[in-house]
Amino acid sequence: MNKSNGLKINRREFAQRAALLSAAMVPAGFAFNVPAAAASAQLPEGAEKLSAESRVEAEARFQQIMSQYGSRFDSEEQKSVRDSCYSLQRSLERLRAFHLENGDAPAVYLKPLLEREKKPQSAPAAGAAPTAAAKKP
Amino acid sequence: MLKESILYESVGELAKRIESKQLSPVELTEAYLERSQKYGPRLNAYARLMPVEALDQARAAEKDIHRGHYRGPLHGIPYAAKDLLAVKGVQTTWGAKPFAEQVFDYNATVIEHLKNVGAVLLGKASMIELAGGLGYNFASASLQGETRNPWDISCWTCGSSSGSGAIVAAALAGFAIGTETWGSILCPSAFCGVSGFRPTYGRVSRHGAMALSYSLDKIGPMARSAEDCTRIFAAIAGHDPLDRSTLPVDRAAFTYSPAADLKKHGLRVGWLTNAWKEYEPGVAKAIQAAHKVLLRHFASVKDAALPEGPWEEAAGVILQAEVASSFGELIRSGRVKELHDPQGRVGGYANLTVTGGDYTTAQRVREILQKKMEALFDSYDVLATATLPAPATPLTMDLSKGLSFPDPLGAIGNLCGLPALSVPCGFTGKNLPVGLQFLGRAGDDAAVLQAGQTFQHATEWHRKRPSLA
Repeated sequence: MNKSNGLKINRREFAQRAALLSAAMVPAGFAFNVPAAAASAQLPEGAEKLSAESRVEAEARFQQIMSQYGSRFDSEEQKSVRDSCYSLQRSLERLRAFHLENGDAPAVYLKPLLEREKKPQSAPAAGAAPTAAAKKP
Repeated sequence: MLKESILYESVGELAKRIESKQLSPVELTEAYLERSQKYGPRLNAYARLMPVEALDQARAAEKDIHRGHYRGPLHGIPYAAKDLLAVKGVQTTWGAKPFAEQVFDYNATVIEHLKNVGAVLLGKASMIELAGGLGYNFASASLQGETRNPWDISCWTCGSSSGSGAIVAAALAGFAIGTETWGSILCPSAFCGVSGFRPTYGRVSRHGAMALSYSLDKIGPMARSAEDCTRIFAAIAGHDPLDRSTLPVDRAAFTYSPAADLKKHGLRVGWLTNAWKEYEPGVAKAIQAAHKVLLRHFASVKDAALPEGPWEEAAGVILQAEVASSFGELIRSGRVKELHDPQGRVGGYANLTVTGGDYTTAQRVREILQKKMEALFDSYDVLATATLPAPATPLTMDLSKGLSFPDPLGAIGNLCGLPALSVPCGFTGKNLPVGLQFLGRAGDDAAVLQAGQTFQHATEWHRKRPSLA
């Protein structure tokens, strides 16, 4: 779902926003290392289906990776990294569009590590004094 | 010298011979070793054979049995374990060059369980590097190279339990252990024409297994029948204090007894109408025939539909975020570049950018999906459909193009930790196996295994053998 509320931006604004967002994600003093080949590349396949904000975010992801690790990639690999950023963004856009209530909790819960779980074999004998863990509130 | 037909027997059949002392575990191990040495390299099925250790274990099993200490149906049965399970003192490569020299000083819990029931570890099965967690586009994405399908060596076995599938299909061992995060047991089982079982999340300990995705990884058996899977599952299931994700003792354990403890009533099957958008023609034909078998042999078969939602996206985001943690160091250090597959060398970087907020959103979607699936299982004991809509793919295929169809069923099954079984249900015109999948409610592994056994009592597909000559 497009969360832009009808706001449309042109390519130039898009590029500016991407740069701004990237800058915000990169620590001060960290030099940009955006390869020319990637910067001038066509948008990855399917990118046009993303909202403007999502494209900015995907591009920011790519820029963040390039700023940290860009020297590791040749032009083909840069393209793959960029594709994977857009692919992830497509998933996130659909995921974020799914309606959730505030009270919809995540599927994973913390299982506090109890003393008895750490020592599963040593069940206390009948009448034995409670363990330290058992005394805790 | 044992006849080839004996090597293709099920664990149940081999066990009867061993228990009655008509078959020596040493002789059986020697025969599987010889066959593995002959065909294993051609199929790229093994990461490593362990002949010395295997024969030691076989001799010990034989000695025990002759003393009257028969430990049950896996005693003296040779098996292979996917090369992401730790075996003390033996290289465990995870299928990946950066870990090629890795050796653990302990056994994975699954290996220990199988040791305790007297199974004989023949070797480590080849696999896709890091179980495919960083992405891959080619069958060759493995330290061992591409695993070839015994039914057609120009085709792939699927991954990531590639070697496990080939080993069982080619009768190089009695059974194998695979793992699944998203499709890695079911897909190789379907492509290789074997029976593969993915248990409910938390029933089988993952202690000593490579962690890819902490909330998605499962370990399960791959064998020559659903009944074999049931026997093996009974041996490896159980709570483990060393893996806190395992279920409590009473919910993790599984007891096998032939047919007697299966559900008294027949199973209600929900035939999924929206799992796959389209089938390859050869698969469609086999699946239609399987549907007719279900109609004849199950209590009821009614059309059912999976709930709609961003399940694949949620599973993908959870997987990516968890991989960013499990293999974050490999990615950040740049050693990921040592992986074989071009996609694997770069695919993990985007994972590092998944935010905690998005991960939590995916987990919230997951909770909603679990409730929807739980409600669906009020009407059905198992859901059924094709394991995959396509048969084994050519070894050279770019998988990003050839196996890129939507997979909501795989996403749902793994996201919710549901048990699933793939059983062979026919062949395409090119003699490639087709798999039928049964999916069950979390914790109702018995229903899924019963469905597979019922199907296999009515069919002979699981008894077909490839020609390796």
